[in-house]
Amino acid sequence: MAKDDGKVTWKESIWNPRTGEFIGRTASSWGLIILFYVAFYIFLAAFFCLTMYALLMTLEDNRPKHQDRLVVPGLMMRPRSGNPFLEIDYMMEETESWDMYVQALDEFLSPYNDSEQAKKNYECVSDKYFFQSDSGSVKNYPKRSCQFHRSILGECSGLTDRTYGYGDGQPCIIVKLNRVIGMLPGGKDGEPPFVTCAPKIYGVSEDDTETTEDTDKMGQVMYFPPNGTFNLMYYPYYGKKEQVNYSQPLVAIKFLNLTTNTDINVECKVTAPGINAVNVKDKFGLKVVFRLRVNSRN
Amino acid sequence: MGYGRSDSYRVATTQENKDVKEKPKAKGADLEELKKEVPLTEHKMSIEEVCQKHNTDIVQGLTNAKAAEFLIRDGPNALTPPPTTPEWVKFCRQLFGGFSVLLWIGAILCFLAYAIQAATEDEPAGDNLYLGIVLSAVVIITGCFSYFQEAKSSKIMESFKNMVPQQALVIREGEKLQINAEEVVAGDLVEVKGGDRIPADLRVVSAHGCKVDNSSLTGESEPQNRSPECTNDNPLETRNIAFFSTNCVEGTARGIVISTGDRTTMGRIATLASGLDTGKTPIAKEIEHFIHIITGVAVFLGISFFILSIVLGYSWLEAVIFLIGIIVANVPEGLLATVTVCLTLTAKRMAKKNCLVKNLEAVETLGSTSTICSDKTGTLTQNRMTVAHMWFDNQIHEADTTEDQSGASFDKSSETWVALARVAALCNRASFKANQESLPILKRDVAGDASESALLKCIELSCGGVKAMREKNKKVAEIPFNSTNKYQLSVHETEDENDNRYLLVMKGAPERILDRSTTIMVQGKEQPMDEELKEAFQNAYLELGGLGERVLGFCHALLPEDQFPKGFAFDCDDVNFPTENLCFLGLMSMIDPPRAAVPDAVGKCRSAGIKVIMVTGDHPITAKAIAKGVGIISEGNETVEDIAARLNIPVSQVNPRDAKACVIHGSDLKDLSQDQMDDLLKNHTEIVFARTSPQQKLIIVEGCQRLGAIVAVTGDGVNDSPALKKADIGVAMGISGSDVSKQAADMILLDDNFASIVTGVEEGRLIFDNLKKSIAYTLTSNIPEITPFLFFIIVNIPLPLGTITILCIDLGTDMVPAISLAYEIAESDIMKRQPRNPARDKLVNERLISIAYGQIGMIQALGGFFAYFVIMAENGFLPSRLVGIRLYWDDRSNNDLEDSYGQQWTYEQRKIVEFTCHTAFFVSIVVVQWADVIVCKTRRNSVFQQGMRNKILIFGLFEETALAAFLSYCPGMDVALRMYPLKPSWWFCAFPYSFLIFVYDEIRKLILRRHPGGWVEKETYY
Repeated sequence: MAKDDGKVTWKESIWNPRTGEFIGRTASSWGLIILFYVAFYIFLAAFFCLTMYALLMTLEDNRPKHQDRLVVPGLMMRPRSGNPFLEIDYMMEETESWDMYVQALDEFLSPYNDSEQAKKNYECVSDKYFFQSDSGSVKNYPKRSCQFHRSILGECSGLTDRTYGYGDGQPCIIVKLNRVIGMLPGGKDGEPPFVTCAPKIYGVSEDDTETTEDTDKMGQVMYFPPNGTFNLMYYPYYGKKEQVNYSQPLVAIKFLNLTTNTDINVECKVTAPGINAVNVKDKFGLKVVFRLRVNSRN
Repeated sequence: MGYGRSDSYRVATTQENKDVKEKPKAKGADLEELKKEVPLTEHKMSIEEVCQKHNTDIVQGLTNAKAAEFLIRDGPNALTPPPTTPEWVKFCRQLFGGFSVLLWIGAILCFLAYAIQAATEDEPAGDNLYLGIVLSAVVIITGCFSYFQEAKSSKIMESFKNMVPQQALVIREGEKLQINAEEVVAGDLVEVKGGDRIPADLRVVSAHGCKVDNSSLTGESEPQNRSPECTNDNPLETRNIAFFSTNCVEGTARGIVISTGDRTTMGRIATLASGLDTGKTPIAKEIEHFIHIITGVAVFLGISFFILSIVLGYSWLEAVIFLIGIIVANVPEGLLATVTVCLTLTAKRMAKKNCLVKNLEAVETLGSTSTICSDKTGTLTQNRMTVAHMWFDNQIHEADTTEDQSGASFDKSSETWVALARVAALCNRASFKANQESLPILKRDVAGDASESALLKCIELSCGGVKAMREKNKKVAEIPFNSTNKYQLSVHETEDENDNRYLLVMKGAPERILDRSTTIMVQGKEQPMDEELKEAFQNAYLELGGLGERVLGFCHALLPEDQFPKGFAFDCDDVNFPTENLCFLGLMSMIDPPRAAVPDAVGKCRSAGIKVIMVTGDHPITAKAIAKGVGIISEGNETVEDIAARLNIPVSQVNPRDAKACVIHGSDLKDLSQDQMDDLLKNHTEIVFARTSPQQKLIIVEGCQRLGAIVAVTGDGVNDSPALKKADIGVAMGISGSDVSKQAADMILLDDNFASIVTGVEEGRLIFDNLKKSIAYTLTSNIPEITPFLFFIIVNIPLPLGTITILCIDLGTDMVPAISLAYEIAESDIMKRQPRNPARDKLVNERLISIAYGQIGMIQALGGFFAYFVIMAENGFLPSRLVGIRLYWDDRSNNDLEDSYGQQWTYEQRKIVEFTCHTAFFVSIVVVQWADVIVCKTRRNSVFQQGMRNKILIFGLFEETALAAFLSYCPGMDVALRMYPLKPSWWFCAFPYSFLIFVYDEIRKLILRRHPGGWVEKETYY
């Protein structure tokens, strides 16, 4: 009966010398099935490539098809540290505890060196959108980018104070508005967006006394460029293919008299008349929140 | 035995075999013991010996002290109820049996992964936790569902309890006592009378016209006489034993209790039935096999990617979580529910066709059945005696035996017939019960024994007005039937007012009637009985007897008026009238005729490759006649005896291999060794077992199972219950079946019609095919569900398909289409092919996996990935940018991630895009599953041949699409399930792939049809 010769040991189920079967198949059987699958997958890969090619053909080079998820641009800060929440936490007296922030800022700002900017970029008319529209079929390419000089950041430029104030307990941070192609943050009328930083108020129930307390703790801040504006001439952005050397405008904030040894939650916000920011659920939509703590032995 | 039955039937293949059967193992020794024949010997002993054996006295009975002592020794006279499984155990079996195990393991792995994540990460993703909860919920819900489906079943012993008589009349110390039947002990002297239930197994010591109904034990519906003499070696057939829980129909008897409780014959059968291991249903085995395959694939994938992720530089912990993730992703969450629902639907459909299925898994079993062991009485036959033939005027006439009286009629004009009918009507104690005038004659209830009822109905049908006839011919005297005379006689007044003669009518065993006749009526004329007519009679008698029919002879005489004037006092005890020199009228023969639909059904089973074996407690000749009548022994096939008779050689010279058919007597079966039994079952295609005991029925079933057959048993009596239980599927009769048999069975034929089994086979085969399709459909979407996770690990792209969306597919959109495949009609005539071979023809095989996973699934995955890349690219992330982006992508603090165009994205912005991708991937799977469900409709035919007539499937297509649209567009879904509205164009991404699936599979099936047995069939036909 079938049962008798159906009894094979597990060894035989891998290699059966009687029938020359390896895991239940002969060499030719394996060959055929592998051949089939190879051919089949090559065909599938080709089919996939074909559809992918068709997809890529429909895409534009310079601007993605949809930008509806980027209506409200995010605001981000440098130096960036901490996960998942942004934070700057160091000991004033210990250089190594803040050295990484300095290095990060140095690195971040290096493309903004005045010499570099002058070499690559164009001097634009400030407080005005810098439109470089294509005229019909003639492409305006490559598009020019406006200079953003590191020196504009003044005390936070790292040029005068190499430690960006970290050693003095007056740290600088830099905020930037995320790049979105074609975005006009100043609206049609062209009011430049600006950054303001304030202690973050958590919850509604907390009363004012604490706020003022936090304000006291945060102390005064200084914005570079003055008023913390992003100049309109840096907008609109045309994408990295067309506008290769685009310099993203920055705003530096220097905390002048922080209370040491306390956690301060700071929220920096952009007021941008050109952006419809109703119902922003995104935690980083036009604002950035971070924890700041400067420790000191004194 | 009376009425022309012969008991001297023997089968040629029998050889004396004294080999003692080896008891298999000590574990099964008890059951083996029970399977042996009833070890009764008391029937062969003299009454004195019996008394001696049981320390009792034939007159005085037991002493009270002895009785008390025996009661303590043997325990009460009641059947021990089997250890009942508590409800919670049954529930747990549903919860942890079969397929559920797979899901439980998945759920546990999920919780494990979540625990690891919770212990190592600050903000663990809840996915694994939710998945674990959902998996557990799915198992629990489907478990409850199946539990309630089966809640009505299996209370096997309960009706045995009801069968125990409440009171018994015993004689102890010479006094008659009415005691509780439970207190009856071996040795007690018991008296029973008509209407009583026999309180224990009795050795009859004296009887007066006692008849017992042994039908619940032997399947013979005819009441049996009981008397003190031993008439047969077989305790079941001898007259001096009355069995526990059978009924005494009439008369009285006195007997010595020889065994009580579980030691009685009935007790042994009950213990045997409840002690039998039923084994797994074929579908349960298939599901187990399927789990092995799925687990194999899952573990293989998991381990390979575990190694791969270690090589790629992931940490151990991450690799373990990936491993678990991949294994869990392989679990088809919805399949358990799908299979349960498919089986339930079929069960419902079968119930409509009069097959009530008690155990869901049994739905399919009938489809796999390769052997049906059918009881005769009531299943194959109508279970009512009917006059089948008549012999008068030297000619055999055929009566109509069909249930609806559609058959041919015979010539009723002969005067002999009129006389014969009159005798049959008058010499007959049966009468219709009152108030049944509106019912058709055949449906009316009759008071009286089976043969007389048959005669009554026959006469009522052909002549009508039996009641009136009896009123006109008043009965003045009667001698009832007894086994010494073997005739029944009555004297009547004649119809004719002027004729004052009395009419003597007599019926009985033909040879006895013939002996008492000197003349015979031919064409209404009395003729002297000459040798020629005697031979004609003999031939007719033999012919009718050979048809397995019970033959009765009829004669009458008009008593001369001078000797028996009006008012003559007939004395029946001291017979003062002639009972000889009568006028022979003719013969009438009766049989329990086959049901009309049975021959057709047997034929269908044949063509479906199912071997039909008749197993009956009835006599071989009757059994053979019915077997021939219904086609179990088909026309032209001969038994060894037939061949011997035809060639005129002794039975021993016939080569048993020449005979395809055989009829085996229970007493021969007893002597067969296991090998001989196997040989017998293997080499004969048409087998009839006659005179079988319950134990032998069981042995026959086991023999068939040993040969690898999947056995269905049909039966209605208690005697069938061990076989019903042991069979892969036991089919009990709904109307005539005893409760015990119904409870031992897995399926109940509500109309008692064997033909319903054919429906069951058809439905069972269809659901097996359709389950394959359903599983192929469900498994296919596993690949597009796993591959995103694999690519997430290997090439570090943002996750293309999330856990929630996977669950939406498995438990949402895939469900209705998968279930709808259960409604698919058969592709070809499934009743024309052989039953599936359980060793080779699996529910899920490598070919199904190869097609579902390796081919269709891969196309589906590409369709999903294409949609994913479309959305990513159209939002700014080109495929080149995506590869390797995973760590930055999933970093919450990175809120200025650059896309291919130089734009910067916050975490939440890009997550919305990712979830939109999940939604699109999900929708794409729905789109490719459209094609898949259409493709899965058929395994060989083209869709264009099969058509799209499955309305449920069309509904399923719309339903899954609507559900997908709902999940995508319903406001609030972004919060609830993290699914986002899709732009209309994204719905079309997977269309080319859907189309490709359809074209690819149509081409595959075309090649399959063009080249039967070719490579494509060998590698892809599942």
